[in-house]
Amino acid sequence: MRVLGTGTTRRTHRKRVSFAVGVATLALATAACGSGSDGGSSEIDADADVSAEGEKLTVWIMEGTNPDAEPYVDGLSKAFEEKTGATLDVQFVPWAEAHDKFVNSIAGETTPDVAEVGTTWTPEFADAGALVDLSQPVSDSGLDGDLVPGLVEAGTVDEGLYGMPWYAGVRSVVYRTDVFEEAGVEPPTSWDELVTVGEKLEAANPDMITFPVAGDSEYGVYPFIWGNGGTIAEQEGDTWASRIDSAEAQEGITFYTDLAKEHGFSSPAATTWDEADLSDAFSRGDVAMMIAGSWTPGALVEANPDLEGKIGAFPIPGPDGGVSPSFLGGSHLSVFEASDNKDLAFALVELMATGEQAQAWSEQSGFFPGTKTLLDQVQEADDPVVAPFATQMVEGGASLPVTPLYGQVQGKKTVSAMLQSILSGDASVEEASTQAADEMDEIFSRG
Amino acid sequence: MTSTPTDVQAGPASLEAGPPAAPTAPPTPPRARRGDWLTPGWLPWLLQAPALAVLAGLLVYPLVRVGVLAFQDFGLRELVTGESAWVGLENFDEVLTDPLLWQVALPNTVVFAAVNVVLTVAVGTAVALLLARLSGWARGVLTSAIMVAWAMPAVTGTYVWVFLFDARDGFVMQTLGSLGLVDPETTNWFTERLPFYAIATVNVVHHGFPFVAVTILAGLMTVPKDMLEAAALDGAGAWRRFRYITVPVLKPVFAVVTILSTIWDFKVFTQIYLMPGGSGTNREVLNLGTWSYITAISQNRYGLGAAIAVLLTVLLLVITMVYLRTLFRQEEL
Repeated sequence: MRVLGTGTTRRTHRKRVSFAVGVATLALATAACGSGSDGGSSEIDADADVSAEGEKLTVWIMEGTNPDAEPYVDGLSKAFEEKTGATLDVQFVPWAEAHDKFVNSIAGETTPDVAEVGTTWTPEFADAGALVDLSQPVSDSGLDGDLVPGLVEAGTVDEGLYGMPWYAGVRSVVYRTDVFEEAGVEPPTSWDELVTVGEKLEAANPDMITFPVAGDSEYGVYPFIWGNGGTIAEQEGDTWASRIDSAEAQEGITFYTDLAKEHGFSSPAATTWDEADLSDAFSRGDVAMMIAGSWTPGALVEANPDLEGKIGAFPIPGPDGGVSPSFLGGSHLSVFEASDNKDLAFALVELMATGEQAQAWSEQSGFFPGTKTLLDQVQEADDPVVAPFATQMVEGGASLPVTPLYGQVQGKKTVSAMLQSILSGDASVEEASTQAADEMDEIFSRG
Repeated sequence: MTSTPTDVQAGPASLEAGPPAAPTAPPTPPRARRGDWLTPGWLPWLLQAPALAVLAGLLVYPLVRVGVLAFQDFGLRELVTGESAWVGLENFDEVLTDPLLWQVALPNTVVFAAVNVVLTVAVGTAVALLLARLSGWARGVLTSAIMVAWAMPAVTGTYVWVFLFDARDGFVMQTLGSLGLVDPETTNWFTERLPFYAIATVNVVHHGFPFVAVTILAGLMTVPKDMLEAAALDGAGAWRRFRYITVPVLKPVFAVVTILSTIWDFKVFTQIYLMPGGSGTNREVLNLGTWSYITAISQNRYGLGAAIAVLLTVLLLVITMVYLRTLFRQEEL
């Protein structure tokens, strides 16, 4: 009975979404209103009485974001039980297998009630009809004005909000303060300075990798494309068109890859490195500075306690000063269509994403909270390994194309493949970026 | 099996049958003494039912599902809604017209498999011959050692080899670098097709030869000693004895290990996917297995991924059939 019921809901929901896509803006607005009055089981009443003695919600949280998550989960379970009487079954899912696990559970209708969903996956799962539109309950609880805009944008599909901003992270440059001091250099504030600083570091520490350019990390190159005024892709009516082969983008890619090829700041080994390899090399003490996330400094010190107090961060400089935008990543909290108790599930989402619980998570994980109120508090605290990231996030946080098709581009590793072929010398920037653009356009054309 | 329950005739002759018939015996019913009504035709099927159900669930169903998927445009949305769109041969058209298939995936798969089958069987045979000549305890020690290589999960083995060949801290790179044979400042083996597959070959052969060695060793035990001795008395050297006595006797064993190695090496996936660049970043090193996986799972294009998998299966079937036919034809001669 239940399975049939949810199946039907999903289909009507799907129809509604595709209908909205088919018709113009007016219809979009109607569809958005429609979700409030539809009456199907996918609707959430934020004010509903959620006392739910004896009920249990299944929750998936990604493993590793919070190095020691047990105490947080205990606290959350207690708070939730006090508030609603329901208990939680929290399961930790490793990032590497999370996408497959979500897809399989969606197919088999074994999804959790609530899950942490990576911001780049939210449009994909929403488009597939697996997630519940939260825009109505979010605005009913008066939260809509307080959410971090970049995360809202990433979770919005056809005017519906399918992911509640939970936490955010951003990449900047993480560097060794002791190595910089020894070489007598300050964090660079422009691309020219980045090269001069690199040359001095290279001369002072020839055995260290000054600035590894990781070939298997697409997030390293985006800031240089955006910083130079380029974009990855632009929306043209219903479809997207790649811009990664534009002159501005190519210039940015050239500058980034030349840090390795022209200036020798990197190492051939880095050509096949991903971000985990970067962090490993840094914690071994082999790296002077690298593009890394706001969540890494804690883990780096944990991997090598000798680095305590020797790690700093600065925003990725723009070509002539300022800040180059960097991808604003993070996670949403989403409610799944297959959930039996969506009101209760939203109550949990609200509890986790706001106030004390959100603050505790943010402090323990090193990520930034998803509400403006809490983000302001973090910026005011002015921690040397936190504040630069907050600056990066506020002054230069950017989104990747918000379309499930970009998930396919990432699945195909189009941008990493471009980067790696340039670094290994197999292709010029022009050839590689043209090929990447063709690949993206081919994927976009299938949408 | 030489006889199925249905072709067994009950009759006086069966009473003289005695112990269960050997495979080569005439069609003597092995079990007619109790009468046919005790073992009706469906009974063997009933007894096999659990095994058949497991096989059907684990083998036949996925196979059919992949076959069906290959003719559909099937993405995450279809997976959720349960709907599907038939596209006929479109997926196959896309795969077969993709230059990636002809220039990268197919050559990588075929050449890699050919080289690895030859090397695995050659190394396995050499080790088996060595084992056969060793005394009891030495053979035990060596067999245990190669069993460890065999028992090691492919994931672990791959990480070990990647670690050894790491471009910066790898043992092999450091050693060759200190000998001045390569320049670690400019070399990363994983970025180029040939070195990448050379490392994969070392990994796969290392993981695959123990099975061949153990199987052939078992075969070697059946080679008649007197024939070898007679040949030695006639003046045949070690190579000639191996070539003209051991090899012909072991031909069925070689056939089995070659076919199994071919199948394994054609569909090699883990060992490639886990190497740096193997999961799609380095397009030069894609093979049919990784290409299929990346298309289906990473991009959610299950239909297209299934089409690639079907091609791989067909290719394997053709090769196996051709190989078996040549073998049987030689047998007839």
